Amino acid sequence: MLVQLLVSGIAVGSVYALVALGMTILYRSTTVVNFCHGEFFMLGAFGVVVAQQLLGWSYGVSIVFALVLLLAVGVLTERVLIRPLRNAPFVTLAMMTVALSYLLKGVSRFFYGREVVPLPPLLAGEPIELGGAVLFAQDALIVGFTAVVVAGFFVFFQRTQLGKVIQAASQAPRGASLVGINVPLLRNAMWGVGAVMGAAAGILIAPNTLVYPDMGGHMLIRAFAAMCLGGFGSFPGAVLGGVTLGVLENLVGGFVSSALVEITAYLVIVAVLVLRPQGILGEGRSVRA
Amino acid sequence: MRELTSSPALPRVARNLAAPSRERALRRTALAATLVVLCVLPFFVNDYVQFVINTMIVYCLVAVGFNVVIGYLGQLAFVSAGFFGVGAYATGLSMAHLGLPFPLAAVIGTLAGGLVGGLVGLPALRVRGHYLAIISLAVGEILRWVYVHAEAVTFGAGGFTLPDVRLGGQLLGDKGKYYVFLAAAVAAIAATSLLLRSRFGRAFVAVRNNEPAAASLGIRVKRVKVIAFAWSGLVIGLAGALYAALNGRVSPDSFGLAQVLLHFAIVMIGGLGSLLGSVLGAVLLTGAPELLRNFPGLEEIVFSLMLIGVLFFMPKGLGGLVARTVPLARERLFRSNGDA
Amino acid sequence: MLDVSDLSVRFGGLTAVSGLSFSVRAGEVFTMMGPNGAGKTTAFNAIGGFVRATAGRVRFDGRDLIGLPPEKIASLGIRRTFQNNGILREMTVLENVLTGLELDTPSTFWGSALGLPASGRAEREAVAKARRMLAEMEIADLEDRSAGDLSFGQQRLVEIARALVAGARLIMLDEPAVGLSPSERAHLATTLRELARTGIAILLVEHVQDLVMAVSDQVLVLNYGKRIAQCVPAELKNNAEVLEAYLGHA
Repeated sequence: MLVQLLVSGIAVGSVYALVALGMTILYRSTTVVNFCHGEFFMLGAFGVVVAQQLLGWSYGVSIVFALVLLLAVGVLTERVLIRPLRNAPFVTLAMMTVALSYLLKGVSRFFYGREVVPLPPLLAGEPIELGGAVLFAQDALIVGFTAVVVAGFFVFFQRTQLGKVIQAASQAPRGASLVGINVPLLRNAMWGVGAVMGAAAGILIAPNTLVYPDMGGHMLIRAFAAMCLGGFGSFPGAVLGGVTLGVLENLVGGFVSSALVEITAYLVIVAVLVLRPQGILGEGRSVRA
Repeated sequence: MRELTSSPALPRVARNLAAPSRERALRRTALAATLVVLCVLPFFVNDYVQFVINTMIVYCLVAVGFNVVIGYLGQLAFVSAGFFGVGAYATGLSMAHLGLPFPLAAVIGTLAGGLVGGLVGLPALRVRGHYLAIISLAVGEILRWVYVHAEAVTFGAGGFTLPDVRLGGQLLGDKGKYYVFLAAAVAAIAATSLLLRSRFGRAFVAVRNNEPAAASLGIRVKRVKVIAFAWSGLVIGLAGALYAALNGRVSPDSFGLAQVLLHFAIVMIGGLGSLLGSVLGAVLLTGAPELLRNFPGLEEIVFSLMLIGVLFFMPKGLGGLVARTVPLARERLFRSNGDA
Repeated sequence: MLDVSDLSVRFGGLTAVSGLSFSVRAGEVFTMMGPNGAGKTTAFNAIGGFVRATAGRVRFDGRDLIGLPPEKIASLGIRRTFQNNGILREMTVLENVLTGLELDTPSTFWGSALGLPASGRAEREAVAKARRMLAEMEIADLEDRSAGDLSFGQQRLVEIARALVAGARLIMLDEPAVGLSPSERAHLATTLRELARTGIAILLVEHVQDLVMAVSDQVLVLNYGKRIAQCVPAELKNNAEVLEAYLGHA
């Protein structure tokens, strides 16, 4: 049973890691905490639903559609809502993202009301047996995809020239722009990337959780928990925190009580922020006052 | 010493004292007139409108209480729904389990809000900025989980109905509730106003602006923060108590993220740091046409667009707008000669 | 009044201040000068309780200050100003000065909230005190102006008024001349000298030469966290170590 819990935990944790990674990209590039990220996640799933069911496109095309849509949403959000406020205090920016989150939620609720839409899995077929545990194909896809993304991140940021340039631009924007790096464009692009990652996570997990307007809020807090646990603002922290949270939730559900699964993330947040605010991998970071 | 001021100091000082007294008299008259209107209101409205007005009063209280923490103290903490729920549950459960009459139960609800407020203030001492926002979200959700799962006490996900709301034996209808709500709200808002115009209000703003500077003036920053949270909890707890009586029911889904948006929207649109703004915002957003509620998601869309609009174009909200056009309405952080 | 002996402040491996000693007497204007990074602001913050001193003693009227939090130090009669953001820009001048009376206003929490007469009286007295202070500094007609709308010179005066309104006996000013025009600086200098004449001790951190020369009774020059010279302003330009600190090797 323990192995099963671990395996399922890693699968769920991979989704948390993906969302947390996306949020960390946004935080690192613009120091904005994006309370709207859950809605990027939700819109990714809804994008596929709309393309498939309304426009009649195939699953694959619908996914591409949803990802492109969210790329546009991310880029637009940064350009229209975030950039004009870039010098505003943290509270104003946070509220802007909160307002946007409700706007997006309202829009999807407007069209989908009380419906909960099912989505077929991307990869169907026989579940895989892994040392006593069962792993569904979709879950394997999630873990695999996340692993690829994380590896890609590592390679990109640590090994490529562009990756290092982006890191420099996040840490020292003024210096970067003096050197000729187009910082606003970079930030814009990062928001696009972060949004796409959120959407990808939504698309991957939607077959398991079903698609409904409030699925974003639920995910947002778990992503926050992952970021706080792993170390807010740290990429490896986001991944570590996400996977750890997933495993923790499953362990709690399996050994203590299934009612507590829902609350695990909240308790993690409170515990981490009170006891060790910098999280497991704790890092120095710029915090808007 | 003459360069920085344009004319002799003394006559100016004397004139400053005289002008405000005319202002004060006008302000007093405006307040008195408003109170009179409010007292006779029930005679001119039907039951449905009365219910809406009662709801407005509840949200005025929420906004005023929330403003103390996010407007004056300037801490982004998503605590309002939490305090609101604690007040409502404490009140309703005291009536349902202990058979207490409404007035006493409401006091318990208010105090419970204050207690939770003070407790929430403690982590707020260690944690700030986005961490405070996140931890307050988490605490609010933990509370909601407790409401749903501690079924033996809280009646679980379906919520529960309150016993009859009575005052001195008399069953209170919507109009009866109105007078009770009005009295409670006027008292709480007046007390908050007095508090904000005292050294405590100034301390809140000083702490918001620059904590070391506030400390250098002798302000005990930690105490001030906990006080602000506790007071906010008291006022919003009272609002929760009234909310329970308003609907006659209490259930967990009234205290989730949707409430948070509503409270936020009211305070932001009304104007951070403006009590008058909070009242205006509450009236405006609660009185939003029923039309909004008939279509799912429409309320969220409209409120969030208004919020975005305010963030871009009107950062001081309605209160700021009114203060600019009607100098009478400017809110000061001190009480001067002749003030109550 | 203020005795600093052997003050040292270390951050991890970095020594910001080392073995600093000096005294400030009542009615004296004592200025700390030095190149950027010399440690003056750190020493300043250590005296005020904002930074923990690693070694040494700071005594005010014989009372030990090390380890006391800033609020406690304020209650002993010491106030300071800040380089940026000390003043509350959204508040009016009067409201700003009133925040200086936190320790001097005996209104209680519940007394204020319930509007009890004693608290109301305490508040009104505070307002009267604040107005008297503004009149003394000759900025009474700025009372109702929003502090953010004032010129830097006026803001400094408001900050000083706020520091003095509760009867502080030692005020610490952190680079008050920053952003001031020459005439504002002259006005500030006159104000400071008049304050010193009333017996208030003034500890100043400053760069700006003409203010330092016009105002100081004693100047202490720091570099690399250590005192390199202490003298009256007139002797500064003859001091070799001072010149070297500012100009590099001559």
